[in-house]
Amino acid sequence: MAIGYYFILSALLFVVGLVGVLVRRNAIVLFMCVELMLNAVNLTLAAAARMWGGPDGQVFVFFVIVVAAAEVVVGLALIVNLFFRRGTLDVDVPQLLRY
Amino acid sequence: MGLTVVANALLGGGDQLTAEVVLFWVFAVLALGSALAVVTMRNIVHGALMLVINLLAIAGLYLTLESSFLSIIQVLVYAGAIMVLFLFVIMLLGVNRDDLLIARSLRTRVLAIVAGVALSGALLLAFVGPYTTSDSICGPDATETVAGDGTVRCIGLAERLGDDTSGVAFLGRQLFTRYTFPFELSALLLTVATIGAVILARRRDLEPEDLDPEGPDSDGPDSDGPERSGRDEQER
Repeated sequence: MAIGYYFILSALLFVVGLVGVLVRRNAIVLFMCVELMLNAVNLTLAAAARMWGGPDGQVFVFFVIVVAAAEVVVGLALIVNLFFRRGTLDVDVPQLLRY
Repeated sequence: MGLTVVANALLGGGDQLTAEVVLFWVFAVLALGSALAVVTMRNIVHGALMLVINLLAIAGLYLTLESSFLSIIQVLVYAGAIMVLFLFVIMLLGVNRDDLLIARSLRTRVLAIVAGVALSGALLLAFVGPYTTSDSICGPDATETVAGDGTVRCIGLAERLGDDTSGVAFLGRQLFTRYTFPFELSALLLTVATIGAVILARRRDLEPEDLDPEGPDSDGPDSDGPERSGRDEQER
């Protein structure tokens, strides 16, 4: 398998996640789309690690997974708070920080 | 002519059907299909389950990339811990109804899809060609990454891994020598995230100022109902 096919696949996965973030308005679905994008980048890094024959890409994937775990913990706590205050998950509703 | 191009692409740039090619296509179709399902599913719980399939497919792709340690981590951390957290929050909030929240204006939707097509086109333009020829198939004979004619070779991890086929020692040695500082920082980050989540998840807090306490429903600031005040009293 030529290594480019992995790059193409992760590019497509990233674009799907990006379109999801732009189109959907549900906070939890937005979060899941961000996870899709993170995973697409992870796949690129792992493929690049194999292409170069070195460990650094895999180490980066490891750190990305750690940061994603921390991000999900804080983000979901924020979403729970938001839902209890506003009663909705629609990200268009909270406008306190708008100009 | 067209058929040979397609056949060449299906075989991943090579000329024989190896196990890696078969596994790649199986997992690639699974990953892309479930990613599309995450974006389009009406029910959030179904979307979350589709995301689990996506994460498992990517774990399978890590296996074909000779990164079995990452594959295990992916299953444990993502498909295990993170997705359980997602489903827990969905169930806790009781939002598993069929309400498709989607951008209201048509212009936003059309522009989003145009941006997606443009970005994927640009990325495909970069990758098709130099990375997809038969030179880019990972093998032991490649030592230089960039070949003379501009195509990119793939060195592969087989030689570096040697007997350590899982890659744990390979990765661990780097983590505890070259990447010690980021490793310790990530421990700190996880601690901070845990403390932050505990503080954020407490429910006794000030009300936001842009909510009118004497609003249309005169429940006022205590709109969470008796359940919440009962909990506050228990804490005291």
